[in-house]
Amino acid sequence: MGKKRRGPSLEELLARPWCYYCERDFDDLKILISHQKAKHFKCERCGRRLNTAGGLSVHMSQVHKEQLSTVDNALPNRSSLDVEIFGMEGVPEDIIQGHNQRVATQFQQAEVERQAVTGNPPAGQGGATPGGGQQPAKRPKLENVSDLKKRLAEHKAKKAEALAGGSSGDVTPVGAGQTTSIGFNASNPPAQQFSYPQPYTGAAAGSPYQSTASPVYQNFLPGGPQQYPSSTQYTSPSTYSPQPYTAPTPGQPIGYPSQPPSQTNTPPQTATGLPQRPPSLPSASTLPQRPVMGAPPVNAFQMQQMHMGQGGPNGEGTTPFATSVDDLISGAARAADQAAAPAATPASAPAPSKPEATDEKTTKKDKAKQTRLVYADNETSPEEKMARLSRYAYVPQEETVLAEVPAAVTAPNDTSM
Amino acid sequence: MATNQFTLASPPTDAISALKFSPEPESTRVVVSSWDKNIYLYELRDENGNIGEGKLLQKFEHRAPVLDVCFGANEDEIYTAGLDWDVRRIDLTSSTQTVISSHDAGVRSVVYSKEHNIVVSASWDSTLHVHIIGENISAPAIVPLPSKPFSMSLSPTKLVVAMASRSLHIYDLKALAMLGSQAEAGKKLEVEPWQRRESSLKFMTRSVACMPDDAGYASSSIEGRVAVEWFDPSAESQARKYAFKCHRQTADDVDVVYPVNALAFHPVFGTFASGGGDGVVALWDGIAKRRIRQYQKYPSSVAALCFSGNGKYLAIAISPGFEDGKDEVAEGTVRIFVRELGPTEARGKGPK
Repeated sequence: MGKKRRGPSLEELLARPWCYYCERDFDDLKILISHQKAKHFKCERCGRRLNTAGGLSVHMSQVHKEQLSTVDNALPNRSSLDVEIFGMEGVPEDIIQGHNQRVATQFQQAEVERQAVTGNPPAGQGGATPGGGQQPAKRPKLENVSDLKKRLAEHKAKKAEALAGGSSGDVTPVGAGQTTSIGFNASNPPAQQFSYPQPYTGAAAGSPYQSTASPVYQNFLPGGPQQYPSSTQYTSPSTYSPQPYTAPTPGQPIGYPSQPPSQTNTPPQTATGLPQRPPSLPSASTLPQRPVMGAPPVNAFQMQQMHMGQGGPNGEGTTPFATSVDDLISGAARAADQAAAPAATPASAPAPSKPEATDEKTTKKDKAKQTRLVYADNETSPEEKMARLSRYAYVPQEETVLAEVPAAVTAPNDTSM
Repeated sequence: MATNQFTLASPPTDAISALKFSPEPESTRVVVSSWDKNIYLYELRDENGNIGEGKLLQKFEHRAPVLDVCFGANEDEIYTAGLDWDVRRIDLTSSTQTVISSHDAGVRSVVYSKEHNIVVSASWDSTLHVHIIGENISAPAIVPLPSKPFSMSLSPTKLVVAMASRSLHIYDLKALAMLGSQAEAGKKLEVEPWQRRESSLKFMTRSVACMPDDAGYASSSIEGRVAVEWFDPSAESQARKYAFKCHRQTADDVDVVYPVNALAFHPVFGTFASGGGDGVVALWDGIAKRRIRQYQKYPSSVAALCFSGNGKYLAIAISPGFEDGKDEVAEGTVRIFVRELGPTEARGKGPK
């Protein structure tokens, strides 16, 4: 990396054309002019772009019969029509000076800041005017890199936390699903509860867990899409992996009594179960819809939740789990979606098909905004109302039969009443 | 901007209830029905063939306000419906009026189907009368409706009747024609509509208009809204239906909502125009769901709209106080504008 381009010099900055109305500066006068035409001199009625505010004003009054009072998108004190601006022409001298001063101050500030950050010798090396790009850039560069890395790591950690936090927050709605599914479990409690203790006591190893895992998975079903955050997290620190493993296990006993079985199951399973899962498939088959892979991601995810509850670092630590399970997760997420789809459709299908789905749209659109109906009678049409007026009154006559009606008969009938 | 709009000479003296262009492609004949009990027949072409403010050819007085009018098999024949409970046929060349049926209440609408050669009238007595137009017009077949009809429109094969209580019936014209041929005078005939629907709009239906391509229809309500729906009962087609707000003005944070009094489809482009109580006429592309343009506000409520047979003209009838039946109609406030449309003025822009 040879010479690094320093920022533009003060002269360059001062020479830049800028827009009187919004103080924005531009590379080129042409761009400034097209900016002004598009932002400040465009007719809101027909989109025509005029060259000056005066031109727009004349256009508005002649074409649209409207009076232009202010320039669009202008700073509050610059919206006047009195100043005729075209590009940089017409800008009052005092305003130009104010602008230049501002640019200069900003420039100096930036310069000072840069020196503070980089530790560079003041632009003096290149002369008082910081015109020339100088050699120094190296040291700051290095610092920057390490800084960057540090910050990146911090940022990632934060993000991971936020994600995990966010996802656990998301789970709350899932909780509703969980309760229902728990209810479902209750409906056939013996089998499942039985299965649950079995695996747990039987072996801390993963294989027996499968049976229990399936209910877990089921609980988790609604959360299917939320598994994605975990997979993204996994990307962050790969080195942590050993930590989380240990962390969950201590957490286990605590969580076990307090939490529903399904959740406590999860840690051990994730710890050991991954490879062994496939063999345990048969037990899971009690619930036909759930694919094998359904269980692991859930567990990983729930672990995260638990860890999150127990402490930040652990929460982060869990992410590596996801790494090992990553493909499983994505696969399971898909599977979960697929499994959920058929389950959901029967429930939701009747709803749309039953009504003609007529005014869903209209109801949705009716917001709270205050409205006043010009004609508010929803029962009687205007014509009926008018027909009731005395001047339109008509009483049928006997002679209205299927016959030729001589013109005379068609005289107004009011008199006969 | 050159004005491409003219005002018809000698407009009705009271509110306009309906306005129709002759369906013949190059014709510039317009009939207008009014609450002043007259039917007005205008011809926009002068002796030299120039189209301008036109002249009043004929006026046919009725016994009561006339609520609707339509052209028959040719432009020398019209059918009218009015508050005198009668449906009439008027031969414009001989000026003879024939009552073809009498309802038991005011007759709100009348339509003629060229394809099936039938006239259908809808009355506030909650019936449709179906007349087969032949050598001699037979006694009408009477079809009971669940509610009072407010608006009616037909496509080449369907008849859409919008009624009170937001109900809407779609009839198959062929079935109606069959029914009409079996009709015995005075006997009510139950006929199953091809489809029964509930209006997609929550408020009273003000107007319906069928698409010229027979695919569906648009309906409007008193609450500044227009819905576009398709006949095809399949789920995909029904999923395409939509509604949008229009003819509203915001004043002091209150949305003033005007009724959409009139809808008319362009016979060539399949776009449609809506006219509201706010005096605004807007052109819409119902397929692309876009507004094509909106014309400058007219001085009073838009009562009726109609495109000419070739789609080159749009006639706009305005009448004050149409919504609330105000007592006095000021002189000169009932007017008929005819707008000459540019070749692409009413054409949809296509989806974007």
